[in-house]
Amino acid sequence: MNSGCRHAIEHIYFYLDEEISLVRASRIRLHLRHCPHCTDAFAFERRLKVVLSERSRAEPPPELFATLRALIQEERTRGESGM
Amino acid sequence: MATEEEGVEVADQAEFERDAMQYAPQLYSAALRMTRNPADAEDLVQETFLKAYRAYGSFAEGTNLKAWLYRILTNTYINRYRKEQRRPSEVELGELEDVYLYRRLGESSGAVQSAEADLLDAFVDEDITGALEDLPEAFRLPVLLADVDGFSYKEIAEMLDIPIGTVMSRLHRGRKALQKKLWEVAQGHGITGGTP
Repeated sequence: MNSGCRHAIEHIYFYLDEEISLVRASRIRLHLRHCPHCTDAFAFERRLKVVLSERSRAEPPPELFATLRALIQEERTRGESGM
Repeated sequence: MATEEEGVEVADQAEFERDAMQYAPQLYSAALRMTRNPADAEDLVQETFLKAYRAYGSFAEGTNLKAWLYRILTNTYINRYRKEQRRPSEVELGELEDVYLYRRLGESSGAVQSAEADLLDAFVDEDITGALEDLPEAFRLPVLLADVDGFSYKEIAEMLDIPIGTVMSRLHRGRKALQKKLWEVAQGHGITGGTP
């Protein structure tokens, strides 16, 4: 693990979250171009982020939209009647 | 400018429904990962929409509606459902190395090249949701908001009303804890790579 690897891994989440300066991001991209180990690690973390986002979605109960609309309708009526 | 403000002053039901309702499924999913209970999640989403509808007049057009709704959701959750203490204890999560799961899977898969990312496909959805819901709350919320819902550190800091540095450190530690949990699950499933 050289200093390029250390820098890349230290900043891996900032890089993947796109919360990093342009200069640091560019330095990391340069490193990844010739470091297969870090490239592999970055690909893994990127994939994990996708897995977390895509595979943790819960289907809402089918009546959710109707319930919310009714709730808003009731609130609107209440507001109009000044209750 | 004055006319624009007047334009959003009275919340229009049709406009609110048109703009906000599309986020209901995402908000429900986030609510379920926060409360870990379908009935509470539904209550939380309903309360969020009611509050959002009432406050819609103060919502500034041109700003991010999704982030605004999530902020209401998160605040409502924190005020109503949180039972744990606001400050996480520092010993709650041990120190772990970076890219923990990748390293463990790499060690276990031995000669198999570049297979670590493929191993992620072996997790079933319940492994993922279980690992997320297992995180202590102070770490779970930042991880959910960043990794599942894709918010920026700044947006998360505003939602949770904590400094951005705190978001970063909790996110960092939360992710490591999540990876440790997934590693345990992987070992339990025998999906740690290579052939036995």
